[in-house]
Amino acid sequence: MSSSNPSRSFVIRPCTQVYLALMGLTATTYLIGTAAAPEQGPGLGLSLLVLGFALLKSHLIGDYFMGLRGLHGPWRWVILLWLLIPGGLILTAFVLSA
Amino acid sequence: MKYRSQAVARPYFIAAIGLFLAQIVFGVILGIQYVVGDFLFPEIPFNVARMVHTNTLIVWILMGFMGAAYYLIPEETERELYSPLLAHVMFWVFLAAAALTVAGYLIVPYARLAELTGNDILPTMGREFLEQPTITKVGIVIVALAFLFNIGMTVLKGRKTAVSLVMLIGLLGLALLFLFSFYNPTNLVLDKYYWWWVVHLWVEGVWELILGSMLAFVLIKTTGVDREVVEKWLYVIIAMALITGLVGTGHHYFWIGAPEYWQWWGSIFSALEPLPFFMMTVFAFNMVNQRRRNHPNRAAVLWALGTSVLAFIGAGVWGFLHTLAPVNFYTHGSQITAAHGHMAFFGAYVLINITMISYAMPLLNGREANSMRSQVLEMWSFWLMSVSMVFITLFLTGAGILQVFLQRFTDTPLPFMVVQEKIALFYWLRLISGLVFLGGLVVYITSFFVAARDARQGIAPVAKDAELAPVNP
Amino acid sequence: MTATIATHQDRYPPGDLAIWIFILAELAVFAIFFAAYAFARMGDVALFDHYQATLDKDAALLNSLALITGSYCVVRALAAMREDHRAASVRWLIAALGMGTLFLVVKSLEYAHHLAAGVRLSTNTFYMFYLSLTFFHFMHVIMGMVILAAVAWKAHRGGYSAREHTGMETGGVYWHMVDLVWLILFPLVYVMR
Repeated sequence: MSSSNPSRSFVIRPCTQVYLALMGLTATTYLIGTAAAPEQGPGLGLSLLVLGFALLKSHLIGDYFMGLRGLHGPWRWVILLWLLIPGGLILTAFVLSA
Repeated sequence: MKYRSQAVARPYFIAAIGLFLAQIVFGVILGIQYVVGDFLFPEIPFNVARMVHTNTLIVWILMGFMGAAYYLIPEETERELYSPLLAHVMFWVFLAAAALTVAGYLIVPYARLAELTGNDILPTMGREFLEQPTITKVGIVIVALAFLFNIGMTVLKGRKTAVSLVMLIGLLGLALLFLFSFYNPTNLVLDKYYWWWVVHLWVEGVWELILGSMLAFVLIKTTGVDREVVEKWLYVIIAMALITGLVGTGHHYFWIGAPEYWQWWGSIFSALEPLPFFMMTVFAFNMVNQRRRNHPNRAAVLWALGTSVLAFIGAGVWGFLHTLAPVNFYTHGSQITAAHGHMAFFGAYVLINITMISYAMPLLNGREANSMRSQVLEMWSFWLMSVSMVFITLFLTGAGILQVFLQRFTDTPLPFMVVQEKIALFYWLRLISGLVFLGGLVVYITSFFVAARDARQGIAPVAKDAELAPVNP
Repeated sequence: MTATIATHQDRYPPGDLAIWIFILAELAVFAIFFAAYAFARMGDVALFDHYQATLDKDAALLNSLALITGSYCVVRALAAMREDHRAASVRWLIAALGMGTLFLVVKSLEYAHHLAAGVRLSTNTFYMFYLSLTFFHFMHVIMGMVILAAVAWKAHRGGYSAREHTGMETGGVYWHMVDLVWLILFPLVYVMR
C-alpha cells in the first residue's frame, strides 16, 4: 500500500498521490456532470469518458488501497477483471441507447 | 460416538429413512397417475398422494435435522445433551403426529379431516405444503420448542463453536418462521406473503444454515482439516446464503399482486443465489483435497461431495434457470418448477441428511465405519439415486420447455390438458427414472443390514494399509 | 487458507482470504445491479434522463469525496500500524468513521428530500433503481463502519501490531470495496446520460 520507508516531510507518499488523483478525477466527473444544461446532459462521449474515469479510479483503489499491486498470480487481476464486467455492460447499454 | 446421549439421534435417523421410503413410494404412485390418470382412484386421489409425497418429505427432513442436531451438538459442545429423555419423548410425539396426519390424509377426505381437527377454530389448512391440520401444526411447534430448549441449553452450557451456533440459529429460524403458518389472512396477496415466509425462508434461508453446519461438521470429522479453516468458509457461505436468500424471496412476489419493483429485486438477488451453493462445492472439494487423514467411512465423504455438487446444480443452476422475472413470466408453475423442486430438495436436503446419517450411524452402532461391502452398496445407492434424479430433472425440464412453449409462448396456445397429452412421453421416462430411484433407495436401506451382518462377523471396514494414511502432510 | 497466506505473501491479497471471497460475491451483486440499471435505461432513456436531473449532484460529489477520503484514512491507519504507531492508527480509523458518518448524513438528507417530494420505489423505474442501488450501498456503508469500529476498538485495546494486523487489513479491504462501488455508482446514476 503506502511506502514503508520512513517518509521525509517533503516526499508525498504514493498513497497520497493516488488519493489526490482520485479526488481530482471525481471533481472532474462532477464538473462534466454540471457543466452541461440539465436537460441535455454531457452527451455520450463525455459520459463514456466519465465511465472510463470511474473504472480507472476503481482500478487505482484495487491496486493501491486494497493492496493488489505487486502480487503475482490471479489475485493481482481480480478487481480489474471484475471491472470489465459492469464496465463492458454499461458501455454496451449506453452506446446502444444513444 | 463420544457422548452417550448422542444415541437419541438413532431413532430419528431410522424414522427419517422410513418416511423417506414412504415419500418415494408415493412419488412413484404420482408418477403413474401422471400418465394413468385413474390409477388407484378413488382410494388415493392425485391431490392426496401429492400431499403425502410433499408432507412426508418435509417431516423426514425435519426428523433428519433433529437427529443431526442431537448427534452433532453434544460433540461440538463437548458435553452430554441437556435432556436425552425429553429428546426421546419428543421423538415419539413427532412420529405419532406425523403418522396420524398421513393416516388422516389417506383415510378421510381432506374437508372432513379439516372438520374433525377443528380447523374452524383456527383455520390454517388448505395451503400447499402447509396442509397439516392445525393440531398437527401445534404439535410441531411443541416438538420444535422442546427440541430447541434441549439443544439451546446444551449449547449454552458447553463449548461454543461456529458449527453449533450456525446450526442453532438455523433451527431457531426454522421454528420461528413456522409460526407464520398459523396466520391465514383472507386477503390472497397477504396470504401469499405469509405463506412464502414459511416456505421460501425455510428452504432458501434458514435451512441453508442447517445444511451448511451439517456439511461443515462432517467435513471436519472426515477430513481432519483445521476447524478454523472450515469455520471461515462456513461464515462466508451462510452470509451469502442469507443476503441472497432473504432478498431473493422477491422472486416469489413477481405475480402475486406485490409492487412491480420486486421483479427487479427478486431477479437480481435470486440470480446470485447459486453463489453460496457454488462456494459450498468449492469448499467441500477443497477440504477433501486438503485432507489430513483418510477416513475409513468413504461412503460418507462421497455423500458429502455429492451434496455440494447436486445442491449447486439443483438449487443453484436449476433455480437460476427460471428465476429472472421475464423468464418466470412464462415458466411460472410449469414442469420447470417441478424439475427444480426435485433436484433442489434431493441435492441439498435429502443428500445432506443421508450424509449425516451415513457418517453417524456406524458410530452410533459402535464402529467408526461400516464394512467395505456395505459401503460399496451405499455408493451404488448414491449413484443410482443421483443419476436417476438427474434424469428425472432432465425429463421434467424437457416436459417443462415443451409445456411452456405449447401452452404459453406460441402464438396459438393449446389448452392445458391437450399439452399434457403431448408431453406424456417425458412423464413415462420420468416414471422409469423414478423406479430406478426407488431401487437405489432399497439398495441404501439394504446396506444397513449388510453392515450389521458384517459387523457381527467381525469384518473390518477397510484394508489396514489405507487406514489413516497421511495425505499431503 | 490462513497457512497459505503466511507463506505466499506475494500471491495472496492482504487480509483474510475469506473476506476477498465475500467481496467478490458482493461485487457480483453490484455488477448485476449496475448492468440492470444500464439496460433498463435503454428501455426508456427519456424517463431516466428526466428524473436523473432531479438528483442532487452536489450531495453526490460531497459523498464521493467523503468515501475516498475515508478510504485514504484507512490506508494511513494501516501504514501507521505497520510502523507501530498505534495511537496514530486509531486516529486515522476514527477519521475514516467520521467520513462514513458524513456520507450517511448527506445521503439521509437526500433521501429525506426525495421522500418528502413523494418519491417511492413504485414511482417509476428510474427512482426504483436510484433508491434500490443507493440504499443497498447505504447498507454496505453501515456494515463497513461496523467493521471499522470493531477494528478501531481492537486497535485501541492493543490487539494489532506492526507484525500482526491481518484483522485490520481485512476490515480495510471491505471498506475500500464500499468506496470502489460508489465510485462507479456516482457517475452511472448521477452523471452519465
